[in-house]
Amino acid sequence: MSTQSTDSFASGATLVREGRPAMEQRFERILDEHGAAISRLAYSYEAIASVREELVQEIALAIWKALPHFRGECSERTFVFRIAHNRGLTHVGRRRPHQQSLDDLEEADEPLDPRPHPDEQMAQINQRERLASAVQSLPVAHKQMIVLMLEGLSHAEIGEVLGITENNVAVRLTRARKALKEAMGVTQ
Amino acid sequence: MKNDQMTEDRELDLWREQWSGVARPSPEFRRQVQKRIEVQDRHFWLGNLLALAAFVGMLALAFYQLSHQATRLEKGRATGVCVLLFVAITCRLWIMRGTWRAETQSVRAFMELWHRRVLARIRGLQIAIYLAIGWLVFCAALAAANWATIRLELMAHPAALFAMMVVIGLMLRVIWFGATWFRRRKVAELNEVTRLLEEIESMNG
Repeated sequence: MSTQSTDSFASGATLVREGRPAMEQRFERILDEHGAAISRLAYSYEAIASVREELVQEIALAIWKALPHFRGECSERTFVFRIAHNRGLTHVGRRRPHQQSLDDLEEADEPLDPRPHPDEQMAQINQRERLASAVQSLPVAHKQMIVLMLEGLSHAEIGEVLGITENNVAVRLTRARKALKEAMGVTQ
Repeated sequence: MKNDQMTEDRELDLWREQWSGVARPSPEFRRQVQKRIEVQDRHFWLGNLLALAAFVGMLALAFYQLSHQATRLEKGRATGVCVLLFVAITCRLWIMRGTWRAETQSVRAFMELWHRRVLARIRGLQIAIYLAIGWLVFCAALAAANWATIRLELMAHPAALFAMMVVIGLMLRVIWFGATWFRRRKVAELNEVTRLLEEIESMNG
């Protein structure tokens, strides 16, 4: 899968040759394929909807900036998640102590799917919210592992994104899952 | 053991299913990103053009003052500007060593690069303050050495000189507050990056 993505993604030199229209096309495709994943990743870093919206845009912008330098050494998915996590971390690092207004809190607590729903759907949404809040509450290192795992990346890909060995991924993943379960228990 | 694994996998599948519905991009997402790309492109060209224009303009002014029959004060000022530009650019390049790109392409390498960049910015600010003090000392020395010329100017246009002194005083104040604010922000960022790095390190251990 990763090889396929690498092959499908032309080298930087080709990209430069093809020029801006080709790059725009690729960027559009990346947003099509990974837009939802980027939004979910941003969700793990920021609870407030309006700020999160900004973060999603910043991630997209960072991908656009990095695209000409992408040489296809890793899969496109790895490339996207690496940039997204970098931006997420920068967001955490530069976040000023936020005075949460009542509006912000309401915004943060709004249901993820505002459509009317029967009881069963309501229960599913509650579980989803529980998982999402638990992910948000995790320490950064666990959060990164969990998000990448939930997005379906292999151990090798997670290692590539985070710059650690596959063995280390397995160990950290076990700890992160334990932490997630505990967090879900706490937020229950 | 196998049962545990299966339970865990079912749990993971369930989590993945729940996670897939957590958030999706807003309908305005594409348009807003497009707008930000356009703004960023404009800023990039405008910033580069302004920097180039300022650099060329200052050099041209300095060389003009040096080449034509200028007074000693004008020649001193032009030389000072050239030296200041050279020293400032050299210092910037020297400070930014090792901060251009990450050693590897991973989140961890990015964190380390970020840490180095913040440190470099704080160090850069310190050097900028030293350079500013040096520039002020140079200006004072130049004024003292050319006091005869300046005194004549002073007597001819006292109001203009007073206005200039007020503007310089205000500028120094603004620069000082700006530098203090920037330093405070960068120190806070450095603390946060260090905390994140330590957090990641402790998870590895």
